[in-house]
Amino acid sequence: MIEKTIWVVDDDPIYQIIMKKIILKSTIFSSAYSFSNGKEAINSLKQIITKNEKLPDIILLDIEMPILDGWGFMEEIAVINNPTNPKIYISSSSIAIEDKERAKNNPDILGYMCKPIKLDDLIKIASV
Amino acid sequence: MKLTNSKSTHNNWFLLKPKLIGMLVFLFFCIIFSLILSQQYHIAKKAKNDTMFASLQAIHKSIEQSLKNNYADALTLALTINDKGIPEHFEAVGKKMLATDPNIDAVQLVPNGIIRYTYPLKGNEAAIGINILASKKYRYEALKAIQTRKMYFAGPFELKQGGLGILGRLAIYKNNQFWGFSAVIIRLSTLLNKPEIEKIDQSKFFFQFSKINPITQKEKFFLNTNDKFDPKNAVTSFIPDGDWKLYLVDKKPNELILPFILRSLLALTLASLIGFLITSFFKKPAELEILLSKQAEELLKNEIKFKSIFDQAALGITYVDSLSGKFSEVNKKFCELLGYTTEESKLMDLETITHPDDIEQSFIFLEKLYKDEIREYTMEKRYISKSGKTIWVNITVSPLWKIGETPSNHIVIIEDISKRKKTDKIIIDSQQRIESLINTVDGIVWECDAKTLEFTFISKKVEDILGYTSEEWINTPNFWANHIYPKDKEISLKYCAEQTALKSNHVFEYRMIAKDGSIVWLRDIVNVIIQNDEAKNLRGIMIDVTKNKQIEKDLNNSFNLVSEQNKRLLNFSYIVSHNLRSHTSNISSIVDLIDSSDSEEEKEEMIQLLKSVSDSLNETMLNLNEIVHIQTNVDLVTEKLNLKQYLDNTLTILSDQIELKGINIISSIENNIEVNYNPAYLESILYNLISNAIRYSHLERHPTINIDCYVENKKTVLKVSDNGIGIDLNKNGHKIFGMYKKFSTHKDSKGIGLFITKNQIDAMGGNITVESEPNLGTTFKVYIS
Repeated sequence: MIEKTIWVVDDDPIYQIIMKKIILKSTIFSSAYSFSNGKEAINSLKQIITKNEKLPDIILLDIEMPILDGWGFMEEIAVINNPTNPKIYISSSSIAIEDKERAKNNPDILGYMCKPIKLDDLIKIASV
Repeated sequence: MKLTNSKSTHNNWFLLKPKLIGMLVFLFFCIIFSLILSQQYHIAKKAKNDTMFASLQAIHKSIEQSLKNNYADALTLALTINDKGIPEHFEAVGKKMLATDPNIDAVQLVPNGIIRYTYPLKGNEAAIGINILASKKYRYEALKAIQTRKMYFAGPFELKQGGLGILGRLAIYKNNQFWGFSAVIIRLSTLLNKPEIEKIDQSKFFFQFSKINPITQKEKFFLNTNDKFDPKNAVTSFIPDGDWKLYLVDKKPNELILPFILRSLLALTLASLIGFLITSFFKKPAELEILLSKQAEELLKNEIKFKSIFDQAALGITYVDSLSGKFSEVNKKFCELLGYTTEESKLMDLETITHPDDIEQSFIFLEKLYKDEIREYTMEKRYISKSGKTIWVNITVSPLWKIGETPSNHIVIIEDISKRKKTDKIIIDSQQRIESLINTVDGIVWECDAKTLEFTFISKKVEDILGYTSEEWINTPNFWANHIYPKDKEISLKYCAEQTALKSNHVFEYRMIAKDGSIVWLRDIVNVIIQNDEAKNLRGIMIDVTKNKQIEKDLNNSFNLVSEQNKRLLNFSYIVSHNLRSHTSNISSIVDLIDSSDSEEEKEEMIQLLKSVSDSLNETMLNLNEIVHIQTNVDLVTEKLNLKQYLDNTLTILSDQIELKGINIISSIENNIEVNYNPAYLESILYNLISNAIRYSHLERHPTINIDCYVENKKTVLKVSDNGIGIDLNKNGHKIFGMYKKFSTHKDSKGIGLFITKNQIDAMGGNITVESEPNLGTTFKVYIS
């Protein structure tokens, strides 16, 4: 099994801890990184591109975050427009239909996952 | 109407030929003048002849006298002959005679025809012995003396002594027997040396003396033989004693001709002049006569024309005698109109055919006409026909007299307007119907010019709705525009003009100021009336929508309220869905992890995690409780609160942090400012705003917080501004007052303070605004109503 890299972008520190545990349990990913808002994540992404290092395979993105929220992050991604962008999945506790619709209409977003994220969900997106 | 024949000019044809008249007059005067002139000429001529004749007669007498003297001399000489027939003392007598009569050149005695005695002998010797009776030359004349038994003068002939002379012979009878001749020789010049001849005006006349040769019968002239003359121009006298002819010749036979010619010319000129004058004199009348006849013809034509117009006119026409009011002439149409025959009509007058109700007005007009106050009038009136029917007519009356003249006749032109009157009535009825219909409409019906916006109609409803009368609206320029509520005026006029330009019917609403000063909301439904592809008029109806507007406003307020509440509800559902769910999902995940944990250690870790989730959930629940409390708290207690005092309390609570960060607080709030507010809310609002400002102060500069209070639009404004890190409002403006919206990673940021603050301010009926620039600072304004 190929080992993959996953980023979790979320401002909830408890959620970060939980996700780390789950990712570890899944044994799909070789490495997992956490970012507390979109800004931090996009900055890291830009650095990687500049240094021409390996981009993460999957990003789990929360919507509600301080500084730069999930939608803001997507806008920045669109600006970067890297052909080998990571697969981005929304993981939000919001069950609002407008959020789901918005995610659906964005071609860069591959899926919308409602929290809580389970081990099976991770396996599913990793195998796509 | 009679047609008069004005052709009376044929008697005056003469006058029409001025040239002929001129010519005739000229000829007449020519004849007169020539008669006068020829008469004059003849008189002059006769006078001249008479003068000449008298002169000649005088000469004649004088010569005859001389001849008589000679006769006496010859007789004297004869007396010298004695009884024996022998002359005695011939020489002495001869001598004496010559001495006494110088005329005598010589004397002779010729017994038996033979010249025997002559005195003076000297020079006449040759004559002695000549038998004159035998001489061919002298015989005829000698015999003549014998025949006539008178003294007969022979010659003139050339005298031997030279010059011309005549020889007078007297036959002498002695005892009744022819003795011979006694002869006297006289010089012609002497004979003719007469004062009468001398007296002749030589410039005009000359004298001539001739003798017809008895043998040759040729006349021989002896004086001035060079001057030839026409016997016609001379007067003559015959002296038988010598068969001489005396002439007095007119040297200037033509002297009378020249004056005659001159006078003739003068007369001719005069005659021409008169003829010319006569011609010109008659020419003018002739021209006038022609003009007159032309005009008369024209007049006749016009008369025929007018006569036919009069008869055939589609209008009734009548000539009225102004004094009696009777119809002196009526046309066919008039008769048709009233049903009377022409003869009957002429017996009628204005009064008899006029409807009783219109008589007075008719007389008022006629009176004015008679007084020359008006020169024409038109009126609509009623006539009564023969059958008693009322006929509506429009009459036009014109006088046929000049201003200042006594009224004589007037002409009345009558138009039957019964039909029009009928339609007029229908129109008026329908107009009234429309008008009453319009006035029942619950709105102001109006019409105006599309360009000028001048109103041509506005229904009476305007008085009910706006209090203005239709009259003042229509008669005052720009009434509509000037009574639109000032704030609506510009936009309303602009919209109306735009739509009109597009020829598009439109509906718009605006406010107008009613007469009592109140504001009335109107909905104006406008139809654009297009004529010739151009907006000509605007018609519409203004409906009073003030009540609707009030209802709308109320509705709007309710809507806003509902929307606001809906927003809060949504926010609440968001809080539930996000904030509560995030905790529950975390709990769910932790529980899963606990289930699948391999070690006690891991389980313990998860339980610790579960605890912190529980704490967070608890906090969230508290916050929610507080919010629900604010939102459901309808009857909040408000009190008059001293703003300064509350601010000071807040600053005391935050004094540690202020001191820690070294923040400079500048407050302009004075001691006496009081606000009507809920005490707990005011405390909370001040705390949240100031603590926020402290929390997000800029690390690189000296933090300052300004707190001010002022009045804006009757609302008290509390302003809190800092020079902190600021917020990018472009990105986050819409969610700044949302729950759990955090804009920084600050450790104390919970995303609940501003949410609660906003809820509290809203609950007090005010609002809050924010102005911010990243890295410059943030200003919050709280409006307290």
